[in-house]
Amino acid sequence: MHLKKSFLIAILLSFISLSAWEIYWRSQGYHPTINDEKALWAKERAKLEDATQNDVVFLGSSRVYFDFQKKVWEKETGIKPIQLAVPGTSPLPALTDVVENTNFTGTVIIGVTPGLFFSTTYPKAPPWDRMQSNIDFYHNLTYAQKSNFFLSIPLQKNLVMMSADEEEWSDDIDLKALLRRQNTGERNGKTLAPPFYNFGDINYDRNMAMSERAATDTAFANSIIRVWNYFAGVSPPPDKEATTTYFLKDATKFLARGGKLILVRCPSSGGTRIGENKFLNRETHWDSLVNLVNAKTYHFEDYDQLKTLTCPEESHLSKKDAEFFTKELAQIMIKDNAISNLNTH
Amino acid sequence: MLFNSLSFIVFLMIVLAAYYSEILNWNNKKRMLLLASYIFYGMWNPPLVILLWISTMIDWTAGKRLAVEENQRKRKLWLYLSMAVNLGFLGFFKYGDFLLENFTLMMQSMGVDYQARPMDIILPMGISFYTFQTMSYTIDMYHKKTERARNFLDFALYVTFFPQLVAGPIVRAKDLITQFYEPKKATVNQFIWGVFLLTLGLFQKVVLADTLLSNTADTVFKPGQVLNFWDAWSGTLAFSGQIFFDFAGYSTCAIGIALMLGIVLPDNFKYPYASLGFSDLWDRWHISLSSWLRDYLYIPLGGNRHGVTRMYVALMLTMLLGGLWHGAAWTFMVWGGLHGTYLILEKLQKKYIPFKITVWNGMFLALVTYTCVNITWVFFRAREFDTAWNMIKSMLFLNPEGTKLLESFDIIKVFVLIGILFCSHWFMRNTSVKEVASKISPYLLSIVWAIMFFLIAISQGSGEQFIYFQF
Repeated sequence: MHLKKSFLIAILLSFISLSAWEIYWRSQGYHPTINDEKALWAKERAKLEDATQNDVVFLGSSRVYFDFQKKVWEKETGIKPIQLAVPGTSPLPALTDVVENTNFTGTVIIGVTPGLFFSTTYPKAPPWDRMQSNIDFYHNLTYAQKSNFFLSIPLQKNLVMMSADEEEWSDDIDLKALLRRQNTGERNGKTLAPPFYNFGDINYDRNMAMSERAATDTAFANSIIRVWNYFAGVSPPPDKEATTTYFLKDATKFLARGGKLILVRCPSSGGTRIGENKFLNRETHWDSLVNLVNAKTYHFEDYDQLKTLTCPEESHLSKKDAEFFTKELAQIMIKDNAISNLNTH
Repeated sequence: MLFNSLSFIVFLMIVLAAYYSEILNWNNKKRMLLLASYIFYGMWNPPLVILLWISTMIDWTAGKRLAVEENQRKRKLWLYLSMAVNLGFLGFFKYGDFLLENFTLMMQSMGVDYQARPMDIILPMGISFYTFQTMSYTIDMYHKKTERARNFLDFALYVTFFPQLVAGPIVRAKDLITQFYEPKKATVNQFIWGVFLLTLGLFQKVVLADTLLSNTADTVFKPGQVLNFWDAWSGTLAFSGQIFFDFAGYSTCAIGIALMLGIVLPDNFKYPYASLGFSDLWDRWHISLSSWLRDYLYIPLGGNRHGVTRMYVALMLTMLLGGLWHGAAWTFMVWGGLHGTYLILEKLQKKYIPFKITVWNGMFLALVTYTCVNITWVFFRAREFDTAWNMIKSMLFLNPEGTKLLESFDIIKVFVLIGILFCSHWFMRNTSVKEVASKISPYLLSIVWAIMFFLIAISQGSGEQFIYFQF
């Protein structure tokens, strides 16, 4: 056996094949990005342990995630926010985590995306389970998982082939994702969900921004809209009573210990907005909720500079508009004494 | 720490650098390996290292006393102490909730309104493996089948040696401790072969088990479904492949890593899916556990020394407890019970309707054995009996209107992959990877090696835990 020879040739072949793989995907327009994964969320969540009364935490789903730009917020308010929003999730378990597992008495800003906020309190339903799995991951984080995450960051930042989001995008390039693309859906008669392409870029600081392509390429944005339409068709009806009651329990507890709560309704547009107005309209959902809670509330429709914002894929703002939205809303909140401006202190 | 993780790669490089550095003498190298093994374990949950220490201390002390004690009563007491501590750990951490749950059910069935809160005990990783390993030392010492470990360091390293600590192979003292007595260093060829085995093990785990098979098995075994024939079989076959690649992958990695240090660990799998019957299967599947159960359970229960009936009882008890070793659930008992039944039926067949195995009927027999093994996997994988029964009925064409859950591609993928797995086990039955590798061209070996490495790299697993860690 010429093991030494085989070993050296194997190293050479592996290097060549992996380089070719990397070059190929870069030539297809991919660029290295950080993976949006539980470990990244856990790193952000850990900041809450030492957070002060001045700190601000964002909870919610993808709208809060995309629409609030951390750097702009920091510039306007003087404090870097903690971004704990997770796409496709209900903020309710996250608020419970803040209330029950921390002593935080700063400001919690909750994004109210009606379809998710009022969706469910059933622990196994996806909007709840997904958020809870992040929380559980953080509380059960091992030293091995921590070190894996930190060791993987330089690779994620430099290699396209290391991208593997937990979202399982249709354009992911790991082997499992490539195999998933072979499914045609003809056998079980199920309507397959339309392809869901990655439309955001995240950084190590857990700041999410819409990709340039999603903001400018209408055909690409339409592909995302088809996904919202699909979700709207398969989602179970909302459970407004249970979700509201659940939220009020935690909100009351948080406010009682001196925390500040702010509710925000981020923009949506086009068919998604029409659908929301029809099935989860403002009067019966947003207005009914804000009347029950002692919190500052901000609906984008109430502000001239915000109500005209258009979401390229009907649900999230482009990076440029998100920066504008963040800046404007931060100023509105400061003026309203909802948050402090540490820049002036 | 998982073998399929970046932190393990860094950890291994540091360990190898220290191991092959000239600064440390052999004793210090062993101390370094011991420390590294505790770090390896503690990276998961540091406080649970204490259990390892207690198990080590008890069995070291018991072994020391058994080596000099001649009084049979006292010898027995030392043996019982070791077994009480190790089995006590297992009983509390692994079976505590299960026992409580069944006790509650029993009380309720007797009309007693008894409610107990689940204890929610954390299961220490690999506890079933290291307790069995340390117990084997003390039992062998009791029977004077092995020599006492020369010093505490060698014994502690035997209990804790990181390549096989959390999922085996379960190594006997005489096979491992003696290797620590003299300085060990891998030859260049041993080291490179160790790297190859590590690559092969990771390929089995990351690519074959996690990437190609796990999703299908997970989808099909979700509770509350009544499935179509093809879906049920695809899920079961996918799980049979997943568990083999997952566990054999771990063992292959462990053997490879140990070899890189110049330490030889025994084979744990020998192409089990081409077994000719069930005795053959248990000589090929998880060999270190099946031989442990044979030596420390089946034979003490009487083995074949007290007549046929007693032998069948011993066999069934061994397999039932073997099933329970895998997990605290009745489904695992059924899995063990089925294997016990198969073994008894095979013994009856050999006695009353013997036939000669030829090349022609051999493959058919292997296929029949594999099919029967798949039936047992249903109970092993399903979390509830309802799920298992529904699966079995679907596999027997009893649910013709069952749901078509999987895509055509999934079904084709599973059948092709499992077909290749079965054929490769058949052709490799009487040989080994090393023998095959020595016969093929070095260029072909390097191409296979590079393909495996490439597929591991692009699989990008999120570091799925090995299935056997939970046992």
